[in-house]
Amino acid sequence: GDSWGIFTFLCAALCNLPALPALNCTEELGAGQSIQKTYDLTRYLEHQLRTLAGTYLNYLGPPFNEPDFNPPRLARAERVPSATVDLDLWRGLTDNARLAANYRAYSRLLCYLRALDGQAGTAELRHRLGHFCSSLQGLVLSIASVMSSLGYPLPAGPAAPPAPPGTTVAPNDFLKKMDDFWLLKELQTWLWRSAKDFNRLKKKVPPAVVTLRLEARGF
Amino acid sequence: MPPLPLLLLLLCPRPPRAGATAYPAVISPQDPTLLIGSSLVATCTVSPDFHLKAEDLYWTLNGRRLPAALSTPLGPTTLSVALTHLNGSKQQSGDNLVCHSRDGGILAGSCLYVGLPPEKPVNISCWSKNMKDLTCTWAPGTEGETFLHTNYTLKYKLRWYGRDNTCQEYHTAGPYSCHIPKDLALFTPYEIWVEASNRLGVAVSDVVMLDILDVVTTDPPLDVHVSRVGDLEDQLSVRWSSPPALKDFLFQAKYQIQYRVEDSSEWKVVDDVGNQTSCRLAGLRPGTVYFVQVRCNPFGIYGSKKAGIWSDWSNPTAASTPRSERAAGGCDPKGGEQNTTLRRELKQFFGWVKKHAYGCSNLGIKLYDQWRVWLQKSHKARNQVGKECFPAISCSPRGSERRQDETGRPAPTRDHPRPPQPRRRGAGKRPGRSAAQGTGWGEVGGSWLGTPSFTPRSGEGSPQPRPARGDPAASPLHHQPEQPRG
Repeated sequence: GDSWGIFTFLCAALCNLPALPALNCTEELGAGQSIQKTYDLTRYLEHQLRTLAGTYLNYLGPPFNEPDFNPPRLARAERVPSATVDLDLWRGLTDNARLAANYRAYSRLLCYLRALDGQAGTAELRHRLGHFCSSLQGLVLSIASVMSSLGYPLPAGPAAPPAPPGTTVAPNDFLKKMDDFWLLKELQTWLWRSAKDFNRLKKKVPPAVVTLRLEARGF
Repeated sequence: MPPLPLLLLLLCPRPPRAGATAYPAVISPQDPTLLIGSSLVATCTVSPDFHLKAEDLYWTLNGRRLPAALSTPLGPTTLSVALTHLNGSKQQSGDNLVCHSRDGGILAGSCLYVGLPPEKPVNISCWSKNMKDLTCTWAPGTEGETFLHTNYTLKYKLRWYGRDNTCQEYHTAGPYSCHIPKDLALFTPYEIWVEASNRLGVAVSDVVMLDILDVVTTDPPLDVHVSRVGDLEDQLSVRWSSPPALKDFLFQAKYQIQYRVEDSSEWKVVDDVGNQTSCRLAGLRPGTVYFVQVRCNPFGIYGSKKAGIWSDWSNPTAASTPRSERAAGGCDPKGGEQNTTLRRELKQFFGWVKKHAYGCSNLGIKLYDQWRVWLQKSHKARNQVGKECFPAISCSPRGSERRQDETGRPAPTRDHPRPPQPRRRGAGKRPGRSAAQGTGWGEVGGSWLGTPSFTPRSGEGSPQPRPARGDPAASPLHHQPEQPRG
């Protein structure tokens, strides 16, 4: 809705910053802190998700809330972006690709989370979901700010916007429950992976590099 | 015109995808809604691509395997299950009936919604806070409505005209409540009702008719203060201020007080408080901590004679009655009191003071200085010390309170001019003590930080043997001419 409008405006504003040479070094200065903040945010969300998932899966009922529950991932479930990736492939990702993958994944996950049944469960569950979505949106914006402070372009829009309801919405309630389960599972996996992604990025943008650049520009 | 079956085929949206038979099996009925106690026969038909036979399948309901006796193969790839006397759904998202292959893999599932149609919501009760809004609560008709998700809608309209309005803000005062924040009319009654609906049906409550002015309540009274009445050991004085809305809406208020002893849960209610903003509680137990609450009921709104709705009780305020003289001096810790070192020191100091202040006028100033020093050191901690059980400490600054009629108490005989200061509690009341008050000792409490005052309380003029208390403050003053009492 209008949050996307605000978001795109913000991104447009941030994207224009690299064009000003004088600001380049302040962006580098900010990147390290932004990466740290993003890392912290993923840990916080991971913690929040544990409670949210527990409550939501109890609402779905057994067997969804059983610890070893492992339903098949049907073809339709592939719309949720998967965090699972080959180790060498993951290691070899450029900073840009790494950040872009995170950005795309969370944008879509946020979309699907928001579409979780509005009537679901108790008022408490709805409230928790709402709170989590706000935090997740904060993460998406945080990743965007890291990307622009490092001079990378944002991936085009919320890549492949979720198809209008009616075509990809689950054809029955049980399949919808399975979709919800996999959404939460992928969210969890992504948050685990992102912590490692941002940890890696942290090491690549050390503050020492920034001071050198400042001197080089004669500040 | 193409034949009908072909037409239907064209109309059904089936986006082609690789591995189009994404679903290994199909359950019928899919996501049915059922009444509690009814029966169900469900079938699981495996897709031909999966090469499974009926005997390779089994059912679970909410994660528990169903006995094989309930299942019957209906064909080479179809297994059925018969469920009877269904109980209400375990969760509102539906019971999970799942068809598994032999190795436990999930082939298909169906959500069973088992419950009851809603009954008419009952007990609609509404109140208006300061005539600005309306909050209503109700109760569901039956217990059974929690098995299925039941949607409640509160509707209201002005009697005789106006269209139906729907309340939007739910769950403001519990799960079955709604809040109407504005655009409420006075002087014309409203018709209010609640509609309950779930998968099995709809029910509408009876219509309740009310006038906003009849259901007005206010905030509880503010600034409730409870304090002792001089030295009276069986009375406490309660004071409060009326809620601010009183002025705005021209109503009068009547009040009610309830109080209880610290370690009891039984409240005593004082009903005939009228519209005063102060009251004296009498007949209390000496040396006891009481909790007091006040609430308010607006009446005479815009001149009407009807009463409104009692407000919530104010937050409990605590105070203690003075200890009885016959009891041993000092403050014995009661159940709720914490034994901090500070309190012990204070008690010891008071004990020492009582011991040494008898009939000793010239010590007054020295003691005063010592006390002053000590007080400054422990000022902060003292503020945290509770209100209870300090025999001479008042619970709230009562600078303007004069000692009331002391029924049964001898008036203090003062043989020295008293500086004009607000009286502190118990200052120099005991006839035998008045000498000790020589330098305005009794007034001291009134001039400093407001709260403490010293009244040797043990005995009336007959020195009691007191155990010596090892108080460090005692040492510098051991040169006093008076015999220590201990």
